[in-house]
This record gives sequence, C-alpha cells and structure tokens, in this order.
Amino acid sequence: MNVLLVLIPVTLVVIGVAVALFFWAVNHQQFDDLDSPGVLPLMDDQPAPAEEPENPPTPP
Amino acid sequence: MNSAATWADPRLAAQVLRERRDGLSEIALRVEALDDPRRLLWLEQRINALAGVRRVSVDRAARRMRVVWDTRRTTLPTLLENFAAAGCEARPLRLDEVEDVRAAEMHDALKRMLVAGMCAMQVMSYALVIYLGVVDFVDFSTRNLFRWLGLLTTIPLVAYSAQSFFRGAAEELRGRRLGINLPVALAIALVFAASVINTLRGSGEVYFDSVSMFVFLLLVGRYIELRSRHRGDAGGDALLDATPLLAQRRRADGELEIVPAMTLASGDCVHIDDGGTVPADGVLESAVVEVDEALLSGESRPQRRQRGERLVAGSVLLTGPAQLRVEHGGAQTSVARLGALAARARQARARIAGSDREVTRFVRRVLVLTVVTALGWLLVDPSRAFDAAIAVLVVACPCAFALTVPVTLTRALGRLAHRHVLVTDGSALLALAGVDRALFDKTGTLSTPHLDDEAVEPLRGDSREQVLAWALALARVSSHPLARALSAAARPRGVTPAAQDVRVHLAAGIEGHVGDRALRLGRARYALGDAHYDPRLASAAMVLADQHGALARFGFQERPREDAAATLARLREDGIDVCMASGDSADRVAALATRLGIDDWHARQLPADKLALLQSLQADGHRVLAVGDGSNDAPLLAAADVSAALSSGTDLAQAQADLLLLDGRLQGLLHAHAIAVQMRQVIAQSRRWALGYNLFAVPFAAFGLVSPWLAAIGMSLSSLMVVLNAMRVGREHAHDANPGRADRTAEAAA
Repeated sequence: MNVLLVLIPVTLVVIGVAVALFFWAVNHQQFDDLDSPGVLPLMDDQPAPAEEPENPPTPP
Repeated sequence: MNSAATWADPRLAAQVLRERRDGLSEIALRVEALDDPRRLLWLEQRINALAGVRRVSVDRAARRMRVVWDTRRTTLPTLLENFAAAGCEARPLRLDEVEDVRAAEMHDALKRMLVAGMCAMQVMSYALVIYLGVVDFVDFSTRNLFRWLGLLTTIPLVAYSAQSFFRGAAEELRGRRLGINLPVALAIALVFAASVINTLRGSGEVYFDSVSMFVFLLLVGRYIELRSRHRGDAGGDALLDATPLLAQRRRADGELEIVPAMTLASGDCVHIDDGGTVPADGVLESAVVEVDEALLSGESRPQRRQRGERLVAGSVLLTGPAQLRVEHGGAQTSVARLGALAARARQARARIAGSDREVTRFVRRVLVLTVVTALGWLLVDPSRAFDAAIAVLVVACPCAFALTVPVTLTRALGRLAHRHVLVTDGSALLALAGVDRALFDKTGTLSTPHLDDEAVEPLRGDSREQVLAWALALARVSSHPLARALSAAARPRGVTPAAQDVRVHLAAGIEGHVGDRALRLGRARYALGDAHYDPRLASAAMVLADQHGALARFGFQERPREDAAATLARLREDGIDVCMASGDSADRVAALATRLGIDDWHARQLPADKLALLQSLQADGHRVLAVGDGSNDAPLLAAADVSAALSSGTDLAQAQADLLLLDGRLQGLLHAHAIAVQMRQVIAQSRRWALGYNLFAVPFAAFGLVSPWLAAIGMSLSSLMVVLNAMRVGREHAHDANPGRADRTAEAAA
C-alpha cells in the first residue's frame, strides 16, 4: 500500500496544475466567446464585402 | 452624426476611455453588425492588427466590443475610422453604462464550479475506497487516512466554491429575510461540521462525498441560470445602447441637427422641445421656462428659470421650448445623470432578482419541518436524526420555486428586447397577460398625420408659403405629432422667420411672436380666443391666427400606421377589446375608426376626459392597456394598468410607459402580449412542478429514505427544469406568424 503515499500527492499536484491552467484560461477570456472560433477555419482570406446586404436573422 | 473626428476632444474621450494602470486605455463600443460571425472575426483581426492594440473582446449578445490599446500609438478617432472602414460603425459607450459585471460574474462562477467539480471527483474516489474498504477489511489506519484526505480536499470546496451560498445567506440574514441561500448554507455548514468532528474523533459517519456533490451540482445549476440571465440582460443592454439620449444642436447656419447628447461641447447651442430632457448643463437663453428637477433634487414642484439662469442636465422641461448654451459639455458629473431611462430599465431587472414574500414563508416552513424531523427521529432512533434532518433541509429547499419568477421574467425581457420592446417595469409584463381592454390614442399612435399642399387654406389672402413659414416658426419647437407633420411639410421651402417668446400649452397649441404679429397655432378655440371665435373653423385640425383673427387653417391627411389594422385585429382575436380616444374632431376620429374597424371611439377628449374614460373602464372591472406616444399622454399612461408608448429619439428619456416600442411599430404590442401570456403559463407550470416535487420528496426525506447527495441531485434537477422551462418563453413565438422580413429591416434600421 505504500505506493498510495506517492500516488495521492501526485493526484493532488495534478489537480492543482489543472485548476491553475483553467484559472489562467478563464482570466484570459478563453471562455468568453464559445461560438465564433468554430467558424474560424471556414473563413476565406478575403472578407465578405461589407456593403453586401447582410444581417441573417439573429439566432434566438 | 457619428463622425470619428468629434472624439479627438480629450474631454469627450475622457468619458469613454478607462485608463488602466499599465498605461493602456480600454473602451467599450457599440457595434451594429455583429450578426455574421465571419465579418465579426474579420473585424476582430483587423482591429487587432492596428498598432498598439493589446486585446479585443466581443460580447455578441450585447453587441458590444471592448478594445484595450495604447492611445499614443493609435488615437481614438483612428480606431473609430478603422471600424467605419470595415463597414461596422462603432459608437463609444459611456463608462458608467458599461460596467463589466457580466464577464466578471461569469468568470467567477466558472472557476467556482470547476474547483467544486475537481474536488468532488477526488472526494468521491476517496469515498469509494472507504465504502469498498468496509468490504475488503482495509485496516483502520488506511481508512482514517482516506477520511483525512476527504477532509483535505473538501476544504477548498467549502471555503472557495461554496462561498457564494454563505455570502448570500449572510446578506439575507442582514436584510432580515429568509431566502433560498440560507437552507443551502445551513445544510453545507452542518454536514461539513459533522464530518469534520467525526474525522477528528476517528469514529462515526463522514459525508464529504455528499457535501461536495451537493455543492458541485448546485453550482452547475446556478451557472446555467446565470448564463440564461446574462443572455436576457445582454439583449436589454443592446437595446439600451441603441437608444442614446439625443440632443438638437443648432448648427452655425441656424439649422438643427440631431447628435448624441454626450458629444455636446461647451459653447454649443442646443434646442430643447417642451417635455424634452435637458441634455447638458448650460445657461438658458430663452426668456422663461419651467423645469422639473425631480430626478435630480427630489423637488417635485416645477421650478421657474429665467434667461441667464442655469439648467441642469437631466431635468425635464415642462413648458418650452428652450434655447440652451452648453457650459460643461462632456463633464462626467452631468452626463452621469442622463441615463435615466437606462437606469430605470436596469432597476426593473434588479427588482426581479429581489426576494419574494412567498419564498420567505416557504423557507420558514422548511426550517420548521427540519427541526420537527430531527426531534421526531431523536425520539425514535437518534442515530438517523441527523441524516434525515439534513435530507429534509435539502429536499424541501424552495430553490426551484424561488427561481421561477426571476428566470422566466428575465428570459421574457430578453426576448422582448430582441424585438425592440423595452420593458421598464417587470411587473407590468405580468399584468399585461391579464389585460382585456386596450385604449389607444389616435394621432401619432394609430395614425400618422401628413400635411398636403392643398390642405393649407389661407383665410386672409396671404400666400401659402407665407402662412406655412409662420406656422413652421411655431411648430418646429413642439414634439406634438401634428406639429411634426407641419414641420416636415414646410421645411423644404427654405427660410423661416424666427419666433420669439414661444410657449407651448398642453392640449391646446403654441404661441409666439414673429415680428409684431402675436401668432397662435393650435385648436380653433385656443388659436382664436373667445373674441374671434368662429364656429365654422371648429372642425379644422389646426388654425393659425394672430391678434386680429384667423390667418389660415390646416387640414391633415391621416394615414393609419401600416401595421395598425393587423395589430388591432390580432388584439381582438386575443380577446382584448379596442377603443380609441382622441382630442380630434368627431368626423376625423370616426373616419379612422371605420378604416380600422374600431366600434368604440371617443372624440374631442381633453387629457382629463381620457383619464376619466380610463377610470370608468377600470371601475367596470376591466384591466386596461393604454397606448400613446409617450410624451403627450403622460397622465393617461401613468394611470393605466399597463402602458405602452411608441417612442424614439429625444422623447425617449422621459417616456413614462411600462413598455416602450422602440422601432415605432405597433406590432411590438402583439409580441409583448403573446410573451406575457406565455410567461404566465410557464410561471404557473414551473411553480406547480416545483411545489409538486417538494411535496413529493419531503416525506421520503423525513422518513430517512433519501440520502443528502440524492436530495442534492433532485434539487439541482428541479431547478434545472425551471430554467429550461423558462427558455420556452418566446421560442414558439419566434416561428409564429411574424413577418421575418419586416423584422430584419427593423433590425437593420436600428
């Protein structure tokens, strides 16, 4: 059972690291906009001309 | 109107820029075209590529963008020009309007939830070892080790993640009320304390797994609730941002232009209509006016101000119009007072979140029930008393019940904001569902007046141009729909003489001097006075007269608003009888009533008559919705059960109505009514569900058949049901018979 004495602190450290990473991500606005980045790969190099008649109905 | 160059003025910039400690500046911008994600991303990249830009963040629901950048490398006007060049006009928002609580709250909730989740998983795995250990005869020291580990990992969870519950409970206690945080905090504290004591003693049960699961599940539920609330709030903010307080600035050539009040600079000359809000601190240049400073000083009596005296931003002009020389354009102090409408709308939201008497009663019963359960079990089987009492405390906690109204109402307000209906009183929306009469004003509400050339009839041989010019000199100061129609018809004709000493008399007309003529414009009886009264002119919509008698009569063509007939028909289908009251003459009111199919109409109504009509309807037991144009029907709107106003531009800030239809379309009423009815159903349903769940689960808990963690799952699920149920409000409605096309154009126009 001695392996427990090593593994338990290891899990605690892993948790600590995970929480720290997550806090960093939250503080750097990584969770603020979860919709737009999904479209990023689909983007053309040239933007759609701004003048085109746009405004698709906003999603509810 | 949104020229970027205006923002080069450092005093203006100071209103919108937040200086950060690292020397960078932060600004919040209203950006219209945030619908298309591709354009949004491209815009983001473009702004990010500017020199000195540190960070760009987007709040799509609120249509806001935040930029943190170095003003020394890219100036504010340059930044705005870049937005404009990208086809997305950006308008800076005032600092005090954009406190970024939402993002901060969200970050906080996310962090707490995650810490709780991580800890809960660990504690569960330790608990599993203990449970299995009982079977596998792991020795006592190992068992104790795991109990200590459980305690250790639960500490951050209780101390950090559960903090919001403790803080909420403390606040409730300070406010001497019983809310839903108290039972939760009590349950967490009791279970944790008991477990700690048992761990220290080394005997008895520990409940670290229960308490951590409990906290985690509750936080998940609250996170979802918070998200849905923020969505609603963001929608409301987007609508508020779209309606800045406007001011009429006199250009060098004497013409008026409409600009946002916050862009006024000192020395500017501003024109204020009667009933308008003073847009900036300044010195009065008109002779005498009366102002209402109730908003600022609490003094509700009208104050007289004379030429040379000072007017304070945010006060409302009672008799007008006024000419103002701006003194402190862009000063923080005065500008802060101007967001009266915004403040009211936000207050409406905050009030929703306030406590509810029923919840207080409910919580008191839960606490009593818990004590009774504990005492009962102490008599029968003391070892099970603690478990059962905690289970009752958790199961019976009226979380879902207390959530019902706020969550559903917030959702409804958000949906309505999406449809350009701003609700300034949440309880009015609840009342709207029960409305069975609608009282409409005519001119400006159901119809828009229009002045044709042929309808101008000079009576003393002057030319049409001449009488129009005189009339315009008076009419352009008033916000009355007829005066506006007259201004619109006469304006293209060129020079108008300036009128002196112009005064507006409510529900009568306008008087003023042009040269040596004492002109009066308005209803025949007012314009002609008793001396020159001529019954033949009684039917004229508007008469222009001087001291010697009538000069001209004006006939107005009335066009019903394009969606008026459809809206009234739908209201009748929904069981709301429609009646119309107007100050206009009987034949014109009758004509419009026939066109719109209104049977119940009243002509020649003074404001007092309209009020009496409303009160007689109310005395007959009707719940009345009054619809007006916001500034001319104030007493009527104030007395109605629910009031709605079509409003825009400069009148907006003081429109005292519960619902403001900001896109100038009557259809907003239908949306509001449909959503109100749906909201009432959803609230009733959610409450039944919440009560049913509590009543069903409490006996099981009291007899010790429910463990605390199971109770926590039930509680979270029932709250979740309520939140999800609230999401239904406005959803089916969206696919309803709404002309999506029209909505789109309205959106684009906003």
